[in-house]
Amino acid sequence: MPTLTERLTKGGSPKVNVERYRTIRTIVLVAVTAVAAGGFLLEIPRIQILEHTARNLYFHVPMWFTLMAAVLVSAYHSLRFLQTGDLRRDVRAREAALVGVVFGILGLLTGMVWARFTWYQGTNIWWNFDPKQSMAAVQLLIYGAYLVLRTAFDEPQKRGRIAAVYNLFALVTVPFLLYILPRQAPSLHPGADGNPAFSDFTAPSMRWVLYPAFASFIGLFWVIYTQRVRAALLKLRLYGDTD
Amino acid sequence: MREPPLPSLRDGRQEMPADTAEAIYDTLWSTSEIPTRAPEGIERVMLAEDKLYVVLAVVLIIWFGLIFFLLRTDRRLDTLEREVEDRIPDNQPPA
Repeated sequence: MPTLTERLTKGGSPKVNVERYRTIRTIVLVAVTAVAAGGFLLEIPRIQILEHTARNLYFHVPMWFTLMAAVLVSAYHSLRFLQTGDLRRDVRAREAALVGVVFGILGLLTGMVWARFTWYQGTNIWWNFDPKQSMAAVQLLIYGAYLVLRTAFDEPQKRGRIAAVYNLFALVTVPFLLYILPRQAPSLHPGADGNPAFSDFTAPSMRWVLYPAFASFIGLFWVIYTQRVRAALLKLRLYGDTD
Repeated sequence: MREPPLPSLRDGRQEMPADTAEAIYDTLWSTSEIPTRAPEGIERVMLAEDKLYVVLAVVLIIWFGLIFFLLRTDRRLDTLEREVEDRIPDNQPPA
């Protein structure tokens, strides 16, 4: 089995290793179940305004970490596609971006609900253009545009190349839109200007669920992504096209 | 409609405005004395922590449903992959 460095420099096979997929799938499904149970069952410090909604930390934040992992995977396969011209790489880039966007939408929606009953308690506001939320929405539009851009081309190689170049530029925007810009603006989101970041206020007991939650939801992304890749590779073999 | 005062999570009872439908239900509940019996059996677990564990049960049911769906899709992919492998060997370009 190739090491990570070998995989990154020479690249692993773009095929799906079904045996390994099944093993990781089992671990991930058990882990997500454990995270959900732990998220409800473990005692948490009761903080004013947050109350039990502090438990959202276990589910809302991993959505964004998963999006970031997903677009990294997507950009990696875009890069490999530009090197090799192997359409299976293009398939992987597309599926990773698509599943990543789904996790991002879930992150945005869960954030909206959480904000409505904490930041905006008693005001009936669901969306107030908080910089963190707005930038996150822009981020999702950028990746939505990647998926739309792909539909504009009929020739698989041309579509793959243009989409891959766009995808690499899209990745560059991620740290700015999700971290740098919202942290310089007056935002109610933790980590923003004047607000303590997650590492300053998260109780040690909560990290027993939070860190496994990051790994589990990224694992869940990987399972769904690999499943979709399997289906897409079948289609590629049958029809010789990716979209 | 005016906003009802937000109920406290900790004291376990909610203050309802007198002129809404909830107030009618509230009257029914307070006269029929249904929930006064001490919880026993599974209720001792499920009703604790402001009934938080009921939400956990709901979330787990949904999650297990999704797992079932995911595994079933995998089985269909297994079958399809075997069929395609039989008809188009891997080293042969698609027709």
